[in-house]
Amino acid sequence: MSPALEPTALKPVAILGVGAAAPSLRLAASDVGAAWGSGGGRGTVALCDADEDTLTLAWGAAHGALEAAGITAREVSGLWWGTARPPFAEGPSHAFLAATLGLDRAGGGGLSSGSPHAGIEAVIGAWDALAAGHAQFALVVTSDALIPGLGTAGETTTGAGAAAMVLGALPDASEGPSTNGSSPAARLVARTTRAMPAVDRYRADGDSATGDVYDARLFREEVFVPLLTETGRAVAGDVSSPVESWAIADPDGRLGTAVAKRLGAPLASAPVFGALGDAGAASALLGLVHVCAETGSAGSLIGVIGYGGGRATALVVDAARAVPGACSVEALGAGRRVTYPEALRARGQLEPMDDPIEMGLPPGGAAFVRGNPEMLGLFGARCRECGTISTPPSIHPTCTGCGGTQLDIVALARRGRVETFVVNQTMPPPFQAPLPLVVIDLEDGARLMVQGSPADAAELAVGDEVALSLRRYALERGIPVYGYKAFRVAGTAFVSGGLASDGLVSGATVGSGQDRAAKEGGS
Amino acid sequence: MSWNKVAVVGAGLIKMGELFEQSYEQMAAGAFTAALGSVDKGLDKSAIDAVIVATQRGSLWGQEGIGGNTVPSAIGLSGVACTRVENACPSGSDAFRIGAMVVASGVHDIVLVIGVEKMRDKSTQEGLLARAAAGHPLYNRGETAPVLFAPFATRHMHEFGTTPEMLASVAVKNHHNGCLDPYAHFRSEITVEQVLASPMVCSPLRLLDCCPQTDGAAAILLTSAERAHEFTDKPVFVAGFGVATDHPYLHEKTSFVGLPATTLASGRAYEMAGVGPRDLDMAEVHDCFTITEILDIEDLGFVEKGKGGPASLEGETALDGRIPVNPSGGLLAKGHPIGATGIAQLTECWWQLREEAGERQVAIRQGFALQHNVGGRGSGVSVVNILTRNP
Repeated sequence: MSPALEPTALKPVAILGVGAAAPSLRLAASDVGAAWGSGGGRGTVALCDADEDTLTLAWGAAHGALEAAGITAREVSGLWWGTARPPFAEGPSHAFLAATLGLDRAGGGGLSSGSPHAGIEAVIGAWDALAAGHAQFALVVTSDALIPGLGTAGETTTGAGAAAMVLGALPDASEGPSTNGSSPAARLVARTTRAMPAVDRYRADGDSATGDVYDARLFREEVFVPLLTETGRAVAGDVSSPVESWAIADPDGRLGTAVAKRLGAPLASAPVFGALGDAGAASALLGLVHVCAETGSAGSLIGVIGYGGGRATALVVDAARAVPGACSVEALGAGRRVTYPEALRARGQLEPMDDPIEMGLPPGGAAFVRGNPEMLGLFGARCRECGTISTPPSIHPTCTGCGGTQLDIVALARRGRVETFVVNQTMPPPFQAPLPLVVIDLEDGARLMVQGSPADAAELAVGDEVALSLRRYALERGIPVYGYKAFRVAGTAFVSGGLASDGLVSGATVGSGQDRAAKEGGS
Repeated sequence: MSWNKVAVVGAGLIKMGELFEQSYEQMAAGAFTAALGSVDKGLDKSAIDAVIVATQRGSLWGQEGIGGNTVPSAIGLSGVACTRVENACPSGSDAFRIGAMVVASGVHDIVLVIGVEKMRDKSTQEGLLARAAAGHPLYNRGETAPVLFAPFATRHMHEFGTTPEMLASVAVKNHHNGCLDPYAHFRSEITVEQVLASPMVCSPLRLLDCCPQTDGAAAILLTSAERAHEFTDKPVFVAGFGVATDHPYLHEKTSFVGLPATTLASGRAYEMAGVGPRDLDMAEVHDCFTITEILDIEDLGFVEKGKGGPASLEGETALDGRIPVNPSGGLLAKGHPIGATGIAQLTECWWQLREEAGERQVAIRQGFALQHNVGGRGSGVSVVNILTRNP
């Protein structure tokens, strides 16, 4: 029994819904081997395209979890995000993600980072806030897309992905398994942590990629297997029934199996590594989401172990029935296979000598301070007179339809149809052809022009149904710039918006700049 | 009854092209010399009492902040009143319109309108293509110049069955005309097959659907109708003009098969000139891309909406067609040095109305010619000028 936490004092919390997301690219380990003349490697790993990162992955998984839980973004008390690679190593990562999800600006939570253990730390943070009664609903998101050092063993194992959960507080009386239909599908019922100050993979301040600086045999025999086995046994001892299956963060596709074998139950999360590789901070919850979809039998106990940075934390999930949103890792899509040079280019490890063309506006400047909420939250300005929605609000103090000045800020719909489009083939770096640019009529009547997906370029047609998905538009002077891109619905599986699409954006400025100026002027 | 308060008494331009060997100032001096030399009875340059300069984008040669004093010094008129006009692709035609109003106001007697544009002092990647990263950080990201027009081609094809061959026929015609124009950037014939085999730039527009990046300069001398005969026995009068705007962003367009700014501007110009599309002998219109000319001839009322493609394919706009369009070779063959473009188009109209256009001369029956530009973000501004030789 852990001296730090009394298991009997631990208050269970409900898992109301889960979601997961995978990046769009896949790289074969054999291609990595061929590039380095080593010829080895099995399977594929997932990686982000140039316009994806841990924030866009987190956005996808979080939307799925919110939708599955039937909770709107505005009901969430806080966002707990765990990732070893936040888009800003230091900066407004959490505020950006919260804005894209439409969370209340007064929401709590936090960003856990520092190692792949950050994912499980986000769960713990949310759990404790709920148990303390400081939160009613908590959104937990774990995402990762580590960049392995060139020529390191990590190149054939490092993957990417995201998983999210909406957790809810339980009434104090709700102890023990429930058979009531209104009870939560699953609950977090036990947890324990063990630490060991040993160095394994790490990235120093100033490094852009993660290095393998350790002895793999030493790590297996003296760190990972003993530490996770100890942690798993400890948490299994805290629950009255046997843990029937394990979801374990697996750095290389073999270590997880070794631990599960010692714990005496199958590694039910094994397909996650097979499909995505090591998804870092997201690995443990991706495993849980997968296991929930595969088992879903009443009353089964699922053990979850996350690891990173010399710490292991194990959780036990009591799954009464199928958890909303649970999906097998295969359902996240097979992705697009890329060559090794394409993978390097997508990760920013292969860049042309030419200076990329800079954006006309610095991302730290006033235009972004003004525009970030409307760009990240995808807002429009709806005219009270004629209903026309002009986008974006900051450049439309008057209605483009009738010239009216009484405008309400609204969240835009996330689906629509292609009115017209082009595919741009000729642009300077950092742009990559083919780049579709699409004029869309959204379901709420707003018209928008955004970038499309290169993968859709060949088939795109007027009238196609498209869904908007968050993407990283640029890494501008080192600063990520986010916005929405259009994806053909037939071509790409994407979550539809979890926002209240017709609802007014609370706290947003109503009316035009002119009105505001008039009010301030007292006229 | 046409407005006719102001007359063109001289006009000229320099050979368009990639003029790496000439500075902005040298191009200006060349155009001014050509215009001055064209005045039939001569004009003492010291009589010019105002200059209006059209340069759209000084940043393309590292001079974003150029003002009214750059050109007068270069052409030996330092001291003269001078103002720079910038109004996107119609900068030159708007400078002309403003010049005509200045003369009509009686404030200045003889006004030089001069357009100068350096398009190739910067590499393509650092120049025009760099606008892919300009504008609204998200809504316009990736929006190079063809992106402003290609969505109209996509939609025009979708709604009216306009074909790539119809688009190509515009390029073929204008390149043919360019062969007959000694000032044109490109002077070679092309075929529909060559257009359709050229690389895709921004679908559905291919390389030969696009105008080149051209350095150039053009100049026009204006005076009052009363004084015109001091300088020439063949003056050309400003019959009317119009300018109009539209919402600047593509997603604000209500339709992708026409440019409302063109329709509005031409309506105003027709009304001022007291004529209609049927009264024109020829037109120089904005053909930055082949689709643009098809939109133009519809929006200007030369053909019904949706019929621009077949009309182009069937030769209605050829030199000997019902309404010759872009006898100079247009932007596609003559080139598009932005600030100079409108003034070069007006110079062509001046030559045509005076029947001095040589091999590319069209039949002048009614004595009216129309000049048109459209441009800016989302084709949000258009200028139309109508000239006449009828007193």
